Amino acid sequence: MIRIAWNNTTLHASPGDTVAAALYRHGITTIASTRKLHEPMGYSGSYVGGVLARVDGRPNVRLDQQPVREGMRVESQNRWPGASCDLLSLARFLPPRWVHGGFEHGRFTPRRGRAYLLWERLLAHLAGVGRPPPRLPSASERPARKLCVDVLVVGGGPAGQRAANDLARSGRTVALVSRGATLGRYAQAMGIAPAALHGDVTVLSGMELCGSYRCGRLMIAAPVDPERGAVAIEAGRLVLATGKSSMPPMVRNSHLPGVMDAHAAVLLGHFHAVPAGTAVAVVGTGAETMVARRLARLGSGIAYCGDVSGLARIHGHSRVTGIDIGNRRIRCDAVVHAGAWRSDPALAFQARAEGVLQVSDVMAADADISSVGFCHEPDQDIHVPDRMDPALRICPCMDVTAGELMGLIDRAVTDPEILKRLTSCGMGPCQGFPCWESMLALLAKRTGQPVGRLVRPSHRPPRRALTVAQAAGLCDVVEPL
Amino acid sequence: MTDRALPKSASVVIVGGGMQGLSCAVNLALLGIRDIVVLDAGYWQGGASGRNGCLIRPGFGGHEWTRLFELSWREWTTLSRKLGHNVMFTERGYTMIAETGPSADMLRNASRLHREYGITSEILTPRQLSGVLPAINQACVTAALHQPRGGMAPHHSVMKGYLHACRKKGIDVRYRTAMTGFDMHDRSVRGVYVKDHLIRCDTVVIAAGPQSPGLARQAQAEIDGYMMRIEAMALEPMRPLIGPALALIDSLAYFHQTARGEVVGGTEVPETPQENLRADVPAMAAMARVYTRLFPQLADIRILRQWAGLLHISSDLAPLLGQHPRVRDLWFSAGWSYGFAGAPGAGLLMAKAIARGKVDEIMRPFALDRFEKGNPIEEAGVVMIKN
Ligand SMILES: Cc1cc2nc3c(=O)[nH]c(=O)nc-3n(C[C@H](O)[C@H](O)[C@H](O)COP(=O)(O)OP(=O)(O)OC[C@H]3O[C@@H](n4cnc5c(N)ncnc54)[C@H](O)[C@@H]3O)c2cc1C
Repeated sequence: MIRIAWNNTTLHASPGDTVAAALYRHGITTIASTRKLHEPMGYSGSYVGGVLARVDGRPNVRLDQQPVREGMRVESQNRWPGASCDLLSLARFLPPRWVHGGFEHGRFTPRRGRAYLLWERLLAHLAGVGRPPPRLPSASERPARKLCVDVLVVGGGPAGQRAANDLARSGRTVALVSRGATLGRYAQAMGIAPAALHGDVTVLSGMELCGSYRCGRLMIAAPVDPERGAVAIEAGRLVLATGKSSMPPMVRNSHLPGVMDAHAAVLLGHFHAVPAGTAVAVVGTGAETMVARRLARLGSGIAYCGDVSGLARIHGHSRVTGIDIGNRRIRCDAVVHAGAWRSDPALAFQARAEGVLQVSDVMAADADISSVGFCHEPDQDIHVPDRMDPALRICPCMDVTAGELMGLIDRAVTDPEILKRLTSCGMGPCQGFPCWESMLALLAKRTGQPVGRLVRPSHRPPRRALTVAQAAGLCDVVEPL
Repeated sequence: MTDRALPKSASVVIVGGGMQGLSCAVNLALLGIRDIVVLDAGYWQGGASGRNGCLIRPGFGGHEWTRLFELSWREWTTLSRKLGHNVMFTERGYTMIAETGPSADMLRNASRLHREYGITSEILTPRQLSGVLPAINQACVTAALHQPRGGMAPHHSVMKGYLHACRKKGIDVRYRTAMTGFDMHDRSVRGVYVKDHLIRCDTVVIAAGPQSPGLARQAQAEIDGYMMRIEAMALEPMRPLIGPALALIDSLAYFHQTARGEVVGGTEVPETPQENLRADVPAMAAMARVYTRLFPQLADIRILRQWAGLLHISSDLAPLLGQHPRVRDLWFSAGWSYGFAGAPGAGLLMAKAIARGKVDEIMRPFALDRFEKGNPIEEAGVVMIKN
């Protein structure tokens, strides 16, 4: 048994647990809160902001990736006056319009001088989420290394492993990057036996491939562990085996603790023996039955299983207490969604587009990228209800609601780049995925255009994966052009 | 952005809806000019004006820059009132750091110059420096020059302010509408084309940032300078750690902590000038190295995102302001490397020159023909690579 401190209490955890899993086991589902309105958020598998907390003085650590350690001190952030009581959550009772517009709204605030400086200081405390880490006399860079291969495969699932094996067998040098410490964790959790990896494949595990640069020929992998150095990978080809993620349903309260994507729920059950809930509602676009069966096997009770388009609303204040399916209310303590499934477009976007489709719509034709497995299949459309609930959070970390976006869209602001800039949608820790998928689905529905025709806002590297010290280490391994 | 038909004529057409174009438009309208049209090829805030470091300071190293930016700084202090919108300009101070002896000397000279122009500016003692920037690693600092009235403003809110003022004054601003050609008569411009639609006008102002030299060439009006990419990045938000804006003369880096907690900044690395909007690794790595050295507390903070912006850089790094010496009625506000801080002032000077035909003393040294006349501007106080 390992003991960790969560805010003011001591909890027991099992070796191999992540902090998020250990907390969930103890029924602690609220980890963080949204940035402006202090709505509760937890481990969802969708929103990074829900799992950020302070660990041993280090702010903004992802608890779903952080293994437990004896004596670890974990504190929730963005609360005042203290971890156990957050008076700032009263902000929820402000009229929604007051908090529209990201943090750059100057309507009611002083225009300059001392009064402005005071207001700004208050704003900075409210907006800053976490306290800075403790002072150090000096800090050292994390030395990076460089790797040159013929092909880089991203994603350690069965499809990625198969692709890496085939390429290695045909004599190519191959590297495989996987976010998890071990490969194919989700497949394993779904009961699929792992295959053996070809001995010549270089495996970079516990790393996030967080950016593709120079038309996809230079990639940066950021280790989840801040003590390790980054890897710069030069590759002739990029193979994406990054699978798909389930998009949170577009109904009210889909950001609440207890709403989880199928991956997160199955991983919790399989690797940490933590059931998603005693009464779980599983919704999806076809995979829900399989996921529900698996969750039941892993100890969850299933209260409902059905198509996501029937879901009308999620109920709850600090966590899920029920759902409305059509006119029926079902009590449940968790909602697991298995679809709509969509691929994270960031890496391909960065390799192909100018970074932004500005004056010239230049797309690099020479980027050699392909996708395999689930990632290769077409993305599914997100179901957008005919009557949108304005309180739905499209980008919960930044408190961007459907109401705020609809207000702008209805005033003819229909450029995704501008919607992003006016609301800060997608500018929080997830950097646009899944929030822009929901934003674009809403925009498409509202303006009657197909989603595929809309221009995406720019997906920018290195997407909250690389630390400053890890990035500094790259100075010595990547030459300027 | 709009489906309204383009007008057939205008008094002034401004090409480029960044800070420079919009500031010029607002100031022209304030001087009574009507029928102003602003055309922009991209989306609102898509140019450098939506990608910059947001830093503002009155004082530089030489007379010309200091006079221009002191004027612009004064405009900043009243800009919210002028635009009828809070631009959130904050005088949190602007600190320049020297890491070597020669740069320290430069800062001392600059400080004297600033005081000549009435700008509050002081060389900080180590004790004063730790008062202003308690978190800084003083071992890296040889000298620090502090301009307490400098600071920053979020570019989103500034661009919002300018667009708001344009709309209120009846200026026709069009995004996603590229100017594609000129209507020329006898070395003077008579109008501009948007595809095959002609807008006749008396005056054209090119404020198209990186595209300015290319557009100038279309009117056979060569101008100095070339296109260059520079980059910036944002760290994840934190409560206040860094108060003032910072510029490092030797490391060529500048950064600040925004009101919403993100540390935003950028630096430059020696590279062949890039003409694209792709971010690259070396500039990010170099900036991270600066943070690790100067603010060790930032070492384990994660980088949220990185982006690139394009500038038009002139041979002496100074802006090009005024009418083209050989093409009549074709004006430029181009060549900007500090075009965010400089926009409120430049817009005012440009508008006066266009509307009243009077080129201000402050603007005169930045004339387009200064290179052929052998009068490039010397300035040591800019944080920018000289290629
Ligand atoms: C990373 C970075 C950091 C910076 N930091 C600072 C700073 O801290 N302080 C500071 O003062 N300055 C800074 N700058 C510089 C500053 O951003 C620019 O100098 C300033 O924004 C220039 O404004 P502009 O209006 O001239 O150009 P832009 O904002 O680039 O606008 C030009 C516009 O012209 C349009 N255009 C181009 N071609 C056409 C055409 N054919 N027809 C119609 N429209 C066209 C483009 O779409 C664009 O919107 C920084 C710049 C960058 C990139």
